[in-house]
Amino acid sequence: MNSPRRDFLRFAGLASAAFALPQAIRAATTPPRVLVIGGGFGGATVAKYLKLWGGNVDVTLIDRNSEHYACILSNLVVTGSLPMDRIKLNYTSLQTKRGVNFVQGEALSVDPDAREVTVRTSSGRYAYSYDKLVLAPGVEFITPDGAYNADLTPHAWKAGPQTLLLKSQLAAIAAKQTFVMTIPKSPYRCPPGPYERACTIADYLKRKKKGAKIIVLDANASIQAEPINFGNAFAKTYKGVLTYIPNAPVTSVDSTAKSIITPKGTFKGAVINVIPNQRAGQIVTSAGLVNDPSNRWALVDPLTYASTVHPDIHILGDSQGTGQPKSGHMANSQAKVCADAIIRSFTGEAPDPLPVTSSACFSPITSTTASWLTASFQYDPVSKTMKRVEASFAEAPKPTSDGMQQMFQWANNIFADSFS
Amino acid sequence: MKTQPSLSPIRRVRPSLPQLAILIPALLGGFSSALQATPPPGRLLAAQCFQCHGTNGQAVGGFESISGKSATAMLKELLEMSRRRPESIMDLQARAYTPDQLRLISIYLATLPAGSDDQNDD
Repeated sequence: MNSPRRDFLRFAGLASAAFALPQAIRAATTPPRVLVIGGGFGGATVAKYLKLWGGNVDVTLIDRNSEHYACILSNLVVTGSLPMDRIKLNYTSLQTKRGVNFVQGEALSVDPDAREVTVRTSSGRYAYSYDKLVLAPGVEFITPDGAYNADLTPHAWKAGPQTLLLKSQLAAIAAKQTFVMTIPKSPYRCPPGPYERACTIADYLKRKKKGAKIIVLDANASIQAEPINFGNAFAKTYKGVLTYIPNAPVTSVDSTAKSIITPKGTFKGAVINVIPNQRAGQIVTSAGLVNDPSNRWALVDPLTYASTVHPDIHILGDSQGTGQPKSGHMANSQAKVCADAIIRSFTGEAPDPLPVTSSACFSPITSTTASWLTASFQYDPVSKTMKRVEASFAEAPKPTSDGMQQMFQWANNIFADSFS
Repeated sequence: MKTQPSLSPIRRVRPSLPQLAILIPALLGGFSSALQATPPPGRLLAAQCFQCHGTNGQAVGGFESISGKSATAMLKELLEMSRRRPESIMDLQARAYTPDQLRLISIYLATLPAGSDDQNDD
């Protein structure tokens, strides 16, 4: 039944029959090649699931670092509650267990017509060819006006050295000094994140730097996620320690003078944590893929995450502009939809017509309690958008110690689901 | 594509030898293994559970594993969660899906190998 001659004839027959299906015949003789740029939650998950579900697919993941530090749990590293190692993730399991090729390098440019990406590694510049390209580079920060320097006034909105910098500045703050943080205009990476940071910092100051205060300048008109839990935390739990000022976007920053100008006044502090406004990652912009009305994000088909500009380039996670919240959990969710669609395309199949994505996360409110937030989205074939399922959208009734335990369980599992 | 004179010339990356080695058994053994068939129904939906319950429903260090259990029992529990007063995050998650989607998820999860549950039972 499986004689080499019979197989050879099958191959010859397949070769002629597959003339009309170039991807399929390419796949029969050479595995289809997918290149993934960006090794965060989105990129790692799509690389893994392409291998897990795709069979003989050649997947190469490129990131400029040899390991990834998760933003999830990072606020607890900033306050010294957790060690940096707790959020350190590597690409070893993706390679050895899942068969993903990993290259440490910086993607410099995309040539969509040649289907090549130029990558700079420690040993030189290479052109990587692809059948499908996935861009998951996260966000790029829009430099605030003035004299802004993230090495002096850290954002710590990409985990790694910035996390440690903010941690050391916080540890050095003296009682009676002020920590000033700014929240960018929506949409930005991780809607509850800045409010979570405000809570963890306030909790730290209350416990360790009596008399120190935190001022929270929000560019938005109101709390963007979990308004009840964070609202209660600001008004009650941290009354006297935390001052929340909405409608206070950053007009300019002087990182050396540690001073921020807003329409609500000028604010100075011993520690200045400006989280700048955000846009799609640089590689997405330079590839000409940013085309949403705000000119910051890349529009994609929510069934596949394929760019509306170039159908062989997929964009998922923070950089895409479908209106879904930007988070690691959501990037992981979108990555699965994208991987499934890419694999189907290699056999000439249409994508799943009704995907569902889900966002969920847990936020520490005090050192012993955490709240949670969840929202899921269903594809609406009429508007061709992902619509939030209102019945699935809620914040925790209140922060609890159970919530804290669940937070660590969630972190363990999402780290492994994305990177192992 | 512009190249700067001071940088070394671009080198093109072709499929590596290990990848070519995969092709030989594929050519001899037929192509059904080289290309995956239509994904099983419910797989993509169920994969949305894996962020919390682990890849293929096998939780690591925390939440309950959800793979390899009775599809009927799983569906019953999911439907209950989607109907009762929402208090836990799972009550909200269950509301994200139509009953038919919950059915597909339950059937798919039942086909996966069971995880090793730890002492936490929710």
